[in-house]
Amino acid sequence: MSRQDTIDLTGPIDVEPPLGERGTGESHARRWTGGWGFVAKLTLMALVNAAGVALGWSAYVEGSWGILLGAVAILVVTNWVYFSRRALPLKYLLPGLLFLLVFQLFTIVYTGVVAFTNYGTGHNSTQEQAVDAALIQSERRVEGSETYPLTVVERLGTVGFAIVDGDEVRVGTAESPLAAAPDASVDDAGRASDVPGWDVVAYQRLLEDQALQEEVLELRVPVSDDAEDGSIRTREGTTGAIYLSTLEWDPDAQTMTDTATGVVYRANDDGQFSSDDGETLPVGWRVGVGFENFTRAITDTDYSGPLLRITAWTFSFAILTVATSFLVGLVLALVFNDARVRGRNVLRTLFILPYAFPAFLSALLWQGMLNPNADYGLINDWFFFGAYIPWLTDPWLAKLSIILVNLWLSFPYWFLICTGALQSLPDDVLEAAKIDGAGTWRTWRTIIMPLLLISTTPLLIASFAFNFNNFAIIYLLTGGGPRFPDTSAPLGHTDILISMIYQISGVAGGRADYGLASALSIIVFVIIGTISGLAFRRTRRLEEVL
Amino acid sequence: MRKTAIPVALAAAVALLAACSGGGDPGSEETSAEETTEAAQSGEGVELTIWVDENREPAVAAAAQTFEEQTGATVTLVQKNFEDIRADFLAQVPTGEGPDITVGAHDWLGSFIVNGVVDSVDLADKTSEFQEVALEAFTYDGQLYGLPYAVESVALIRNTALAPEPAPATFDEMVAAGEATGAQYPFLIKTGPEGDPYTYYGFQTSFGAPVFEQSDDGSYTSTIGMGGDAGHAYAEWLAANGPNGTGVFSTDITLDIAEAEFMAGNAPYTVDGPWNITKFEDAGLTLAIDPIPSAGPETAAPFVGVQGFYLSAQSENALLANDFLTNYMATPEAMMAMYEADPRLPAMTSVADEVASDPIMEGFLAASENGVPMPSIPEMGDVWAFWGVTQANIISGAAQPVEAWDTMVADIEGAIG
Amino acid sequence: MAGPVTVPAQTAAPRRRRTRERRSRWLREVGWKYPFAAVVVFYAAFPLVYVLSAALATTGTLTGSTSLFTSISTANFEALGGTLFWVWAVNSVVIGLATAIGSVLMGATAAYAFSRFSFRGRRGGLTALLIAQMFPQMLAFVAIFLLLIALGNVAPVLGLDSKIALICVYLGGALGTNTFLMYGFFNTVPKELDEAAKIDGATHAQIYWTIILRLVTPILAVVGLLSFIGTFGDFILARIILTSQSNWTLAVGMYTWVSSQLNANWGLFAAGSVIASIPVLLLFLGLQKYIVGGLTAGSVKG
Repeated sequence: MSRQDTIDLTGPIDVEPPLGERGTGESHARRWTGGWGFVAKLTLMALVNAAGVALGWSAYVEGSWGILLGAVAILVVTNWVYFSRRALPLKYLLPGLLFLLVFQLFTIVYTGVVAFTNYGTGHNSTQEQAVDAALIQSERRVEGSETYPLTVVERLGTVGFAIVDGDEVRVGTAESPLAAAPDASVDDAGRASDVPGWDVVAYQRLLEDQALQEEVLELRVPVSDDAEDGSIRTREGTTGAIYLSTLEWDPDAQTMTDTATGVVYRANDDGQFSSDDGETLPVGWRVGVGFENFTRAITDTDYSGPLLRITAWTFSFAILTVATSFLVGLVLALVFNDARVRGRNVLRTLFILPYAFPAFLSALLWQGMLNPNADYGLINDWFFFGAYIPWLTDPWLAKLSIILVNLWLSFPYWFLICTGALQSLPDDVLEAAKIDGAGTWRTWRTIIMPLLLISTTPLLIASFAFNFNNFAIIYLLTGGGPRFPDTSAPLGHTDILISMIYQISGVAGGRADYGLASALSIIVFVIIGTISGLAFRRTRRLEEVL
Repeated sequence: MRKTAIPVALAAAVALLAACSGGGDPGSEETSAEETTEAAQSGEGVELTIWVDENREPAVAAAAQTFEEQTGATVTLVQKNFEDIRADFLAQVPTGEGPDITVGAHDWLGSFIVNGVVDSVDLADKTSEFQEVALEAFTYDGQLYGLPYAVESVALIRNTALAPEPAPATFDEMVAAGEATGAQYPFLIKTGPEGDPYTYYGFQTSFGAPVFEQSDDGSYTSTIGMGGDAGHAYAEWLAANGPNGTGVFSTDITLDIAEAEFMAGNAPYTVDGPWNITKFEDAGLTLAIDPIPSAGPETAAPFVGVQGFYLSAQSENALLANDFLTNYMATPEAMMAMYEADPRLPAMTSVADEVASDPIMEGFLAASENGVPMPSIPEMGDVWAFWGVTQANIISGAAQPVEAWDTMVADIEGAIG
Repeated sequence: MAGPVTVPAQTAAPRRRRTRERRSRWLREVGWKYPFAAVVVFYAAFPLVYVLSAALATTGTLTGSTSLFTSISTANFEALGGTLFWVWAVNSVVIGLATAIGSVLMGATAAYAFSRFSFRGRRGGLTALLIAQMFPQMLAFVAIFLLLIALGNVAPVLGLDSKIALICVYLGGALGTNTFLMYGFFNTVPKELDEAAKIDGATHAQIYWTIILRLVTPILAVVGLLSFIGTFGDFILARIILTSQSNWTLAVGMYTWVSSQLNANWGLFAAGSVIASIPVLLLFLGLQKYIVGGLTAGSVKG
């Protein structure tokens, strides 16, 4: 119990260390040595260390070297940071950075790795599993063969099957084909209950012994000396039937041989078994493919046509969404940041309403309300006198609808942020402006806005990037439609780059190509990262005014 | 200070650790010792993980309980969204974290096969207890890969208050009969801006335009079957019944609207599946089920979907999982429980006969007998995106029927490669 | 309120004029805000009328027609009791609060470092934080799943189906946007304040805890609220990580009610959504005094 409890605390602990900071650092540290702050810090660090050591120890026991290494690294760094007088900024950054590194960067790195493989449908796992699957698929029951009551038997560590065939009990192992066991007895259920010379394995024992289970499942008892007659296998341990496998796996030569036709399938560099005349077995495995996914992403002609239009719309969508929702949020924040308005608490809470409901519910709601037929669509019925306005199926209206719905969904976010931002504006600056006789508009334009922009510009960039990849709203509202009439890919006027990736990579259709999707994700990431990085650099000037 | 601090912190850490292990480790040793002794008497400690969705959970839980009692094994039911199961099963089985058994639809089989995540199942003597169509749906290249439990297809649902007589056998006559009732809609079918080729499929096959061609043994090939004259005829028929024609079909009618209007008693006929019957009856309707009327020269053959249980290819408890499937789930009692939890037509013949005394179920049973299994080949996944939208565009008049249909066939062929 | 110090000699006419002036000034500066607020509230709330209508309806569709409130019954709300709704609600609130508190602490410490210390890689670090947030997470589910399997083998509390693991994953994303949000505000707090304190012998930790954090309370509240809402509504990560039903959050659990397009239980879902929006609104109401605290102080002064 307690080991778990210690680890349990890692979350909160890693959040806490700054508390311990009270007692450390520079002159303060000396004065307070032995004081309350130092004790608090020591306790917290002890907890962190205990958790870290516990984690490292279980990683060592489990043989998870990656995690062991990570735990040791984290311990070393944490102790160094918090007991060193240097690395002051790191004392503040470390907790968040650790979480970021472990939980966020891992996904990015992993996606990067996948981008260089052929991971996807047909190349889903390891070669070992592909071999398993091929063997499963090639082994089939001999047509018309009976199902025999079966008992698992054992002798000197060798497992065998005893089946009841008519009146006769026959017993055999992997090496020795079935042979009659004349003195065996059969129980009421029709299964062999006692086989002279063999120990009968009770069904219960089979259930609890996983190693034995595996052995039994893999056991094939030849029916006769002729391999073509097939072998007895069991699936649940109480009945057996005759099966015949047509594939044979040779791990040394890395080949699959079809015993019926004699065709040899070799493991190739693409992660598949292929024969000399190019035929392949259905199941493949994951292998590295170098830059193939990237070249495919760039050269796929099916998509190069709509690519420009989709890119243009992606940018317009992201920019317009951020601009509209920021403006609405800002105006609301400014207007209701006024002590003279009564009931502000209630009003503000009501403004937050769209934000308080699950977003996908809201998207589906809007989809329903935007139904062009006023009999069903509330918008046309209430606001457009029952006109038939195809909000979601006309190319331009669909774009407009998406932006308007997204405005509804996200203005509370900006309202919240701008309200917070306005509150943090230094009163003295505002007052000074008032005393100087600056009018409302001037104060707003020359003081409030610039200050507000300093704190919100990075967020505007982040919001732009978020909407750049805002798959959900597009998917739920229009599904990318209306379709382009002039391309053969299933893409439409409201598709953005990320929903295009979703289509290209086939994740939608059940024939996923994660390798390609990852490569495309990385390309999009590079694009958006570069743009945002540049935009962010520009805001630096703005910031340095302060 | 720096020099002393680290040893102090480490000492504290060690002390804490000692305190932890003092309380914890002996305890866990004890339990593991207990486990081994108990395990000598039963299958305890062996755990079977099964993915189910919300609807079916109670029924599987009932079968699992009997299984637990008789074998001592533990069955863990993990409830998933049905829609997520396919992707999660594909992603998780190779990691070793996937379930031993999962519930699923037969049309996932194709991708399960090429990804090697599913094991074959041998129902042995019980094979004969199941409906042919159900077994066929879970068969790939001659092997059975799942235990089917329910068969389902859409049918024509009739509001008997408006239309007491069985529906006519052709589409035009049905619409005429519907108009004669004076209801707001002579016939309701959910369409939406992205189309609904699944619900419409019966009409499509009545023109002789199946999505993929079938080979002689009933299995689907990857050759598109809906091109050519038959497809054109269907496309033109869609356009002729859109808002620019008779107005029977409309892309404005989404799933929600079709259900709401039908429940409000505004239409005598709709096409829907058995999964909505309870909802409709709760709304106070009395219903009867008819086969889907033919719109073209042939019999309307809706898609038959089969639901069942798949066995993971990487199950560590395959023996137990097989035991559970063949001896505990493939029983009339368990199948009946599944039916009661989630009323779809049972795949087990004896149970199907039992529930067929219910006229509604009998109706769906009759309707599904005309049906064809939904293709489970992996190529099917590439069809939907083109198929639905093309139908919707033809109905709404946004596209020329024949032209759009040909483009669609060409695009699908291109996507399949 | 009007004219506490009335001068008896004043005639009635100017007084009336003054009242009228004040009135028109009030209308110009304050009064119009009420109708404006009404419009905004209508805009924000009218789509949710559907949700309420569906929650109170007996039939189970969401947007079937334009006729709302055709039937009123509390059956859907009562039916919530027969589900794990309240368990999920508790999970959601616990996970949401833990994440919110963690995010605020981590974001604020990081923002303090970025705002007040100059160190090598500061600028690069900030940019990297911003850009790391932009990675398209569409395929993240595979990576997160693998990571948690590996962690779970070593420490089950950090593995799949653990609420703590989920909180950790959320905290992994806590630095990015939150740091920026707070960074901007920390910068608006004049540096002279902490420099003065430093001269008085205060340590960086004392400055942080006693001076800076008090001054940026509004943004702490905003960040806390935003990350609570984000966590409360997230169902993508939660769905991957929390596998057992009793660990689910509201978003994951309620999603199962409507995930099947063919057989969706919109009534139950709508009722659940109405209740689920209450914690968010309550939290906002509660935090408002911190968010607008500065204003009250300022207006008292002014």
